[in-house]
Amino acid sequence: MNSNMSINNKSRFSTWKRIKANRFIYFLLIPGLIFYIVFAYLPMYGVLLAFQDVGIGSSLLGNEWIGLENFQRLFEDEEFWIAFRNTIIISFGRLITGFSIPIILAILINELWHSKIKKTIQTIVTFPHFLSWVIISGIIFNLLSGDGLVNGIIEFFGHDKYYFSKEQNLFRPLLYVSGIWKSAGWGSVIYLAAISGINPELYEAATIDGASRLQRIRYITWSGMKPVVVLMLLLSIGGIMNAGFEQIFLMYNPTLYDVSDIIDTYVYRRTFVDGADYGLSTAAGLFKSVINITLLIFANYISKRIDKDYSIF
Amino acid sequence: MKRLRIKKKRKKLDIIDYIVIVTLSLFAISIIIPFYNLLMVSIVPQKVYLENPFIMIPKMATLANYKAVFSDSSILDGYLITLIVVLVGVPYNLFLIFTFGYALSKRKFWGKNFVLNMVIITMFFSGGTIPYFLVVTSLGLFDNILALILPYGINTFYMLIARNFFQQIPKSLEESAKIDGANEFRILWSIILPVSRPIMATIFLFCVVDRWNEWWNGLLFIQTKELRPLQLILRNIINTQNFNTSNMPPAIQHLVFSEGIKAANIFIVMLPIMLVYPFVQKHFIKGVLIGSIKS
Repeated sequence: MNSNMSINNKSRFSTWKRIKANRFIYFLLIPGLIFYIVFAYLPMYGVLLAFQDVGIGSSLLGNEWIGLENFQRLFEDEEFWIAFRNTIIISFGRLITGFSIPIILAILINELWHSKIKKTIQTIVTFPHFLSWVIISGIIFNLLSGDGLVNGIIEFFGHDKYYFSKEQNLFRPLLYVSGIWKSAGWGSVIYLAAISGINPELYEAATIDGASRLQRIRYITWSGMKPVVVLMLLLSIGGIMNAGFEQIFLMYNPTLYDVSDIIDTYVYRRTFVDGADYGLSTAAGLFKSVINITLLIFANYISKRIDKDYSIF
Repeated sequence: MKRLRIKKKRKKLDIIDYIVIVTLSLFAISIIIPFYNLLMVSIVPQKVYLENPFIMIPKMATLANYKAVFSDSSILDGYLITLIVVLVGVPYNLFLIFTFGYALSKRKFWGKNFVLNMVIITMFFSGGTIPYFLVVTSLGLFDNILALILPYGINTFYMLIARNFFQQIPKSLEESAKIDGANEFRILWSIILPVSRPIMATIFLFCVVDRWNEWWNGLLFIQTKELRPLQLILRNIINTQNFNTSNMPPAIQHLVFSEGIKAANIFIVMLPIMLVYPFVQKHFIKGVLIGSIKS
C-alpha cells in the first residue's frame, strides 16, 4: 500500500515486493503501455517487411523472407535516387534558412523594450504555426494563382505571369519561404524561453562596464541561448532525412517531381498510387530512418567531444 | 523585472531600436497580408477580383462565395466529423498523457528507466507508413472513425512536459494526504489533478489544435465520404480545378469563381482557430517554457 516504504527499506524487500508496493503506478502505466505497444512498437516490428515478400492484402505476419531483394530493387530504381537527392538538398536548404531565422527573430524580439508591441508581434508571428499545412497550402495557391496577388504585382511591373505550379526553379525557394512564414515565429519561442533564463544582472554589469548594445547581444544573449541552439541543431540533424513530408505532399504535382519528390512522397506513391509495393516502400522508409539515427548519434558524439553539456544523451 | 525597469528608463531610442522595430513590423505585415488578401478574395465577385487582385478595400462585397460553400453539405459534414474527433479524441489524449506522465514522474520503481527509454526511442525511430497502415487496418479500423481517434494517443513530447510538471509538485503535498489516510487513487484525483490544471489546460489546447488540423489518418484510412475529417475535405476542395456551379442557387452563379470559393472554404476552416488563438496564445508559450526547463 505504502509506496515510500519501498524506498526506505529497499534492501529488505525482494523485487516482487517492491513491484507490489508500487502496484498503483503499474496500474496507471497500463493504458499508455498498450498504446505504445500497439501504435509504436507493432509498426516498428513491421520494418521486417522490408526483408519480406509482401504486397496488397499481406499482413504483418507470415510473409516469405527474401533477404535484401527489396533493397536491391530499391537501389536500382532511378526515381528513388532522384527522391534521395531531393531529400538531402531540401533538408539542407531548410537547415540553412529555417534554422537560422528563428534565432535571429528571437534576438530581435528580445530587443523590443515595449512590452505591448512585443506581445502583439509575438501573437502575429506565432499564429501560422497553428494552422494546418492544408490551410497554408491553400493560402499559398491562392496568392500564386494565375490571377492572384503575386501575379498581379508581377504584371504591374510589366513582367509576364508566372505559372508557379510548373516552375521547377521556384519550387524549392517556395518551400523555404513558406516554411519560414509558417514556423519561424513559433520556432523563436524556444529561444526566447532560453533568453528569459539569463540572469538580468549580467546585462546590468555589462552596461556598467561600458559594453555596447551589440556587445551585450553577442556576449550575453547569444552565449545564454547557445546550448539551446546546439540542442535544436542536433535534433534537426537527426531529422535531416525528413525534409517536410506534409508540406511537399500538399504543394507538389507531377510536373515538379524532378525537384520536389522526397523519400517520404516516393514511399507514399509506391504504396498507395502506383500499385502497392509494400516491401519496397518499407525498405525505403527503413533506409531513411537508419540514416537519420546514424546522423543523430554521430552529431551527438561530435558535440559531446566539443562540450559535455552540449548533447542529448 | 529589473531589466524591464532599466530598459524603460532609457528614453532615447537608438538606431538598433529602429532596425529592430522595422524588421519585426515587416515580418508581421508579411504574415498578415496573405490572410487579409484571402478574406478579400472570398468576399468579392469575380469581376472585381479579375480587375485587380490587390484589394485593400473592396468596391463591391458579396457573400456569394460563402453561399456556394454551403450549397453543398460536405464542409458541414467535415465539421461534424472533426468535432466528434475532437470531443472524443482529446479526452482520450488527456487520460493517457495524465496517467502515463504521472506514473513516470514517480521517483523510483522497478522498470522505470526501461519504460522511459522505450518511450524516448519512439521519438526518433518509427516503423514508417506501411507497417503503421497495416497495423491500424488489421485492427479493423479501416474506414472507421476510430482510425481518426485511437492512433493519435500519446504525443511523447507533451507527455514529457506533463511528467516534468508532476515532478515539480512538492512531495509533502502527497505525504500529508497519505497521513490523513487518503488512498492513492484519492490522492491522484483530488490532489494531483487539481494542482496540475495549468499544464493539463496547455496540453488540452495543443491536442485540440492537432486534432483540428489532422488529415493524414483520414487520407490513409477513410473511404466513406461522410466520414472524412474537415481538413481532408478542404484539401480536396483546394485540389479541385473547376467547380460545378450548376447546382448552386442561380442568383449567385455569375458572382462565384473558383479562387473565391476556395478562399471562402479556407476561411471557414481556419476561423475557429483564428478567433480563439489571441486569447490562448500565452498558454501555448507557457507549454514551451515548462518543456524547456528540462533541457
